[in-house]
Amino acid sequence: MLVRDLIENSVEKYAEIPAVKWLEKKVIKERSYKELGENIKALRCGLKAEGFEDAHIAFIGASSVYWIESFIAVISGGNVSVPLDFGLPKEDLIELINRSDATGVFLSPKKKIMVEEIIKECPKVKKIWLLTDDEVEGDKILDSYTALKNKGVNKEDVPAPKEDKLATIMFTSGTTGKSKGVMLTQENFATNVEAVSYSREPGMIMMSVLPIHHAFCLVMDWFNGLSKGASVCINDSLMHLVRNMGIYKPHVMLMVPLMIETIYKKLASVDASVPKAAVKANVFGENLDTIFTGGAHLEPFYIEKFKEYGVDIYEGYGMSECSPVISANMPEAHKAGSIGKPVSNAEVKFIDGEIVVRGTSVMLGYYNMPEETKETLVDGWLHTGDKGYMDEDGFLYINGRVKNLIILSNGENISPEEIEGKLALNPLISEVVITGENNALTARIFPDRDYAKLKGISEEEIKIKLQKIIDEFNKTQPAYKHLVGLVVRNNPFIKNSTRKIKRQEVLVDEAMD
Amino acid sequence: MSNEKKFKEIIAQYSKVKPEEMTDEMRFREDLGFTSLDFMSFLGELEDSFDIELEEENAASVYTIGEALDLMNKLIEE
Repeated sequence: MLVRDLIENSVEKYAEIPAVKWLEKKVIKERSYKELGENIKALRCGLKAEGFEDAHIAFIGASSVYWIESFIAVISGGNVSVPLDFGLPKEDLIELINRSDATGVFLSPKKKIMVEEIIKECPKVKKIWLLTDDEVEGDKILDSYTALKNKGVNKEDVPAPKEDKLATIMFTSGTTGKSKGVMLTQENFATNVEAVSYSREPGMIMMSVLPIHHAFCLVMDWFNGLSKGASVCINDSLMHLVRNMGIYKPHVMLMVPLMIETIYKKLASVDASVPKAAVKANVFGENLDTIFTGGAHLEPFYIEKFKEYGVDIYEGYGMSECSPVISANMPEAHKAGSIGKPVSNAEVKFIDGEIVVRGTSVMLGYYNMPEETKETLVDGWLHTGDKGYMDEDGFLYINGRVKNLIILSNGENISPEEIEGKLALNPLISEVVITGENNALTARIFPDRDYAKLKGISEEEIKIKLQKIIDEFNKTQPAYKHLVGLVVRNNPFIKNSTRKIKRQEVLVDEAMD
Repeated sequence: MSNEKKFKEIIAQYSKVKPEEMTDEMRFREDLGFTSLDFMSFLGELEDSFDIELEEENAASVYTIGEALDLMNKLIEE
């Protein structure tokens, strides 16, 4: 089974149903399954006409109908997609385009400013297509989604790729600081979609609010939703989450715990005398009955509270390396506090308490990182880095982490070393540790006081200078990587015998600092 | 109700700080305890309550109550 098969089945069965809805100046626009199918075919033929075969093609942009059509066109025609986080600083995006060997880039018009830089810094890139149906004053390299589509109209279709063919390279936070390109195949995606099955009527409304470059959103909102004949509605901004629920009136949504926590604040601020049905209509848009959540742990408290409004929350567990779902609570089998039962194509066992997984959704490896691949994939078992256990009914639980990653409730995994490495370049910083508390990051810094003395920086000025360094850093980072807290230490951190900072003792040690 | 009062009451839905204790210098994340999503959600409420349209890009440079209030007043005038 391929993603192409899943989509083509739906195009045939649900031709006239809206596949995608989105807002343009507050007006709902729609794309039917039939139109979606035609556009995907034209785009993949256009790519072939442009000479893109088995090529790596990067995506930089937020969710849009153009993004998803182009993405499916890339992988359904045997090319390899590389979805990137468009919130990253442009030098990081350039680095990832080069590291993934991309020769083409689909770019959001909002990032048009990057065109010249890509042309200059990414010598392998032959084409950049802006994700818009507006006319683009093109040249040899710059073109538009529409121009590409027009090149493929009425062309003979491109043969489908094989199941074991690489489909996507998806970058994920590495524990050593450098992000790793997870290689996923056609089969990885398609079997994960098939394994996460729940019955809904075609035409059900899903509202997609997560970043589309993340596996959870891409596979479970889009591939899974489209395979079921859902109308997937695009949330244009997190600013409008609640407003858009009122406009689209979704039945099903995927959220990270942070969204559930934020919506709860809204529910809790309503006067208790207001009938629950009225609150539900106001906050969730009448129809919402199911939320699937993952990416971070959710307190069962919220499951109870949302139930009062007729909304069931099902928590699951996964990672990009598993395309992504490993286990999930489902309407027919769920237990609050657990992360559900392993899905049908994931075999789970424990090695020294660590959850390890085997199955058809497990990645091929990390792109051009044989060492990291060898550490993570051992004898066909993927080491998740999470510690857990299974209860007598087969429900999985997580109770710790093996690897050093900070997981925020927005589902973003933060590599502290990555940020520490960047900050440590400043001569005023001798040692730095990034920690995550109350859903935000804090920089704990032991300043280089010798350097400060040399430069005539007083003790009072040290904190001000460090805050400035952090403010500057924040300006270059997406919001989830912002450093919100700053602690200036008097003493160095406690180290182990190999001179590495003992992270687990940072807070304890600080009390005595 | 004045715009500023209404504005601070919206903030109070996301923060433990009371409207009367809020000052222009207070930062949303650090002093008011907003999460990144609280902030986005707050901006959406400003749009609905004051009939203005905010661009995420403009709002990205807003850190304090004073800055948000200035941006909002500017958009209301427009």
